[in-house]
Amino acid sequence: MRRLILFLTAFLLLIIVVPLLLQAQNTATIDLERIQRATVYIIQAHSDNLSIACVGSGTIVRYDGLILTNAHNTVKSNRCDGDTLIIAMSLNINEPPVPRYRAEIVQANTGLDLALLRITRQLDGRLIDPATLPVLPFVELADSSLVALDETIIIAGYPDTGNAPVSLASGSILSFFDEPGGDDRAWFKVAAAVPLPGVISGGGAYNQRGQLVGVPTAALLNLEAGGECRLLEDVNGDGFINRNDSCVPIGDFISVLRPANDARPLLRSASLNLSVETLTSPGFQIAPAGEATFAGLFFAPAVVENLPTTVIGSAPAGTDSLFLFFDYANMTPETIYELRVTVDGVPAQAFDLPPVRWSGGERGLWYIGADGVNYANGIYEFRLYINGIAAASSSILVGGPTQTIPTFTNPAFGILDEAGNLQGNGYVLPTAPIATARFIYQNMQPGLPWTVIWSYNGLQIARTDDVWREADGANGAYPVSLRPPEGLIPGTYRVDVYLNSLLTTTGSFVVAGTQAGAVPRVFSNLEFIRTDDPLELPETAAANTFPDGANTLYARFDWERITPGTNWTIRWRVDNDIFYEETRPWSSQEQGVDFTVRLTAPGGLPDGTYTLDLLINNILLETAQVSIGIGQLAINRLAQAGGVQLQGRILDAETGKGIEGISFILISEEFSVREFAWNQDQIYALAITDQDGNFEIDRTLQIGAPYSALVAAQGYLPVAADGLEISAEDTSPIKLVIPLTRDG
Amino acid sequence: MGIIVIEGISSETPRQRWANAFTIITALVLFLYGLNVRENTLNAVTPYNNVQAGITALYPANWLLDTGENSIFRVRDMTQPGFKTTIQITIQPVSSATTERNLADRLALIRAQTFTDYSVLSIESYMLRNETPAQAIAYSYVNRDTGPFQAGVPVVVAGLDIITLSRGQALIITFRAQSDIYDREFSRFEQFLSTLDF
Repeated sequence: MRRLILFLTAFLLLIIVVPLLLQAQNTATIDLERIQRATVYIIQAHSDNLSIACVGSGTIVRYDGLILTNAHNTVKSNRCDGDTLIIAMSLNINEPPVPRYRAEIVQANTGLDLALLRITRQLDGRLIDPATLPVLPFVELADSSLVALDETIIIAGYPDTGNAPVSLASGSILSFFDEPGGDDRAWFKVAAAVPLPGVISGGGAYNQRGQLVGVPTAALLNLEAGGECRLLEDVNGDGFINRNDSCVPIGDFISVLRPANDARPLLRSASLNLSVETLTSPGFQIAPAGEATFAGLFFAPAVVENLPTTVIGSAPAGTDSLFLFFDYANMTPETIYELRVTVDGVPAQAFDLPPVRWSGGERGLWYIGADGVNYANGIYEFRLYINGIAAASSSILVGGPTQTIPTFTNPAFGILDEAGNLQGNGYVLPTAPIATARFIYQNMQPGLPWTVIWSYNGLQIARTDDVWREADGANGAYPVSLRPPEGLIPGTYRVDVYLNSLLTTTGSFVVAGTQAGAVPRVFSNLEFIRTDDPLELPETAAANTFPDGANTLYARFDWERITPGTNWTIRWRVDNDIFYEETRPWSSQEQGVDFTVRLTAPGGLPDGTYTLDLLINNILLETAQVSIGIGQLAINRLAQAGGVQLQGRILDAETGKGIEGISFILISEEFSVREFAWNQDQIYALAITDQDGNFEIDRTLQIGAPYSALVAAQGYLPVAADGLEISAEDTSPIKLVIPLTRDG
Repeated sequence: MGIIVIEGISSETPRQRWANAFTIITALVLFLYGLNVRENTLNAVTPYNNVQAGITALYPANWLLDTGENSIFRVRDMTQPGFKTTIQITIQPVSSATTERNLADRLALIRAQTFTDYSVLSIESYMLRNETPAQAIAYSYVNRDTGPFQAGVPVVVAGLDIITLSRGQALIITFRAQSDIYDREFSRFEQFLSTLDF
């Protein structure tokens, strides 16, 4: 008996203590000081009088001063009309930030509400020679697709308008919100231990390895819509701070993160200094024609290729994913939308999407929803807001038994071949006489009235009313076809299927190009040209490899049968990493040749293999590759943020006081002090002491690498050491004290 | 009691005299040797050869050599406390109409945007080795190159740019040192210039 008790006690200790130890080990790896130092406070100011227009937080994500933040408080707009960006950082992490630099926007996506800034000037406006900018503390981006529900995160940012130091708040991932485009995680819903003020927007959220998983985001609402705005300065100089002065808008409390993966293309292009420009002039102006609207709300239990699998009027108990679909029109990237959810009339914040910027196009079908969340039984009312004003709402009952009602699901589109098989990719069809939609049907009953409505660019073009026949059976697949008299003309088509006058499924596809195998030929003859003078483009031969490099690269292609307004995607990759992706409405003629795009970088394009993809509805329609230089990107060791930080102090051994201006040289692991020939290539990192004798190595040290160190200063005996090795047990930062003995 | 007066040390043996002389000579030789070693150490140089740019020179030994983004050659005395005395060479393309004076003015404009309190002290003609004509810009500025998280008081730096045209490009030879030791350090630059071939 005693042995059994001992065994049980040991077993209980094992299952309790081991997870705690593992957790402690994970937590210990976070370098909080590095996170705090990499977090900056951003002031968008007016250049004429440096009055503050907007504020927010940001995170240094590269050693050379690239800062990831929100677009809404940095890119010039109606709400934030400043034209100068000032970067402040906490010189002591326990103190409020101090303005240090000026920055410029190098990449921005206003819809995703992400921007990348680069530090380019000193605070007084002097240009910074990039070679003299110290290596700044930065953090690495995590693969945000690996973030798990309930994962613990740390959120860093400046909580106040410049009055408080960097704050760190712990929280956890509540759910994932899905929207069209990108991967299936448009937003991370978070629950924080403390409320996160809007000024933190643009900061960073970190996993347990100290990698940035997302950007806390809260858009700025207008005052009329309940947005907060603080009067901070006497902007007009009348001696009073009152309503005549412009105020600084503050976003709402933060409850969502924009995943870090959405920032990767921006970071890739910014770090390589790449810029993409379309040279073909638009033939049409695609712009909103009226007030932004939401309409036609319905619910779906799942999404495939941005389309609902089916339409539901109620969901069974135990539902863990639910999506609200709706049509939108006249939206812009600056439009702010919001979702508020109530369950049986009680606000349910876990399902709310706070005010965020619109990341879709001007019009189309949109969805928002959370999966992996337990929807308790009740009546859910989803209410949508545009710029803080209620725009549309819809309700659904969750609970009760699973019903076996007649349904249509999973629409697929194509062209029927002679054997009756559906040919095509499903979402982009060529111009042809007939288009066919095929649905899965279940639990159908003879005599059930059903209707199919076809629309073209938002206008109804065909309608079929019918009753279900017994010969078709209860379950199966059913094709319906559209045969316009003049054939399918290019544009966006949609089909809605109703049962008993209730929408049961919907789907859409694009018609473009001509028939050519599995995918239509919309784009063709994609080729690359290298020239420094655009006027020489017509005479310059295309090629797929430029071994001796290129300063500017042009890509051109022909197109056919694509109607203006059709959303298409242009995507650039280098060594398979996306650095540019933009979906926009087609604004040129319906067909033509030599649509030209320019890719350039100051100082020339980095060596690498570049790929240009052209897509519609996520279907790859044309792609081509070109090799520049050696055909792959150079490895940049400075770009690694992991490792251990080294700090120290160099003292006069006699007086015990710090010595200013002394060089601490950390030699690469390949060389010893004896082999060091005073060549920069042999140096891993170099630091100079400040007025108190403190120094700080600007690169992190890798665990297990044997470094050598050298301190040589006039008037002192040199100090040198080989075999300085960092072990896994060493906690960051390591602090050294080096006394120097006077020479003679 | 009589008094014994010692009038001098009794005469040395020849061996003793030789020993004394040898000691003095040895000390003198060692002193001169020490001076020579010191001089050699202080003026020790390391050869630099850039075949691509066609530049050879001898730069002070134990100065840190690097080729930054903006210069093809740069050496710094890392043992110097405060601002590290620097010698660097930069190459710029020029047109057939460009003169040394044009470049001097351009350089002054660019530096004024990046250096705090940049002030040109003089621009005058300069004659390099082999009678190569050049323009020399003497200037000063305030330098603060510590990281954003370190406390440091800026220092005043004095500099000299020597600009010359050669083979369709401009060669800018720069010397910078903390202003209070500029004159003392300038001899290192003169030594470098005397060995520079391009």
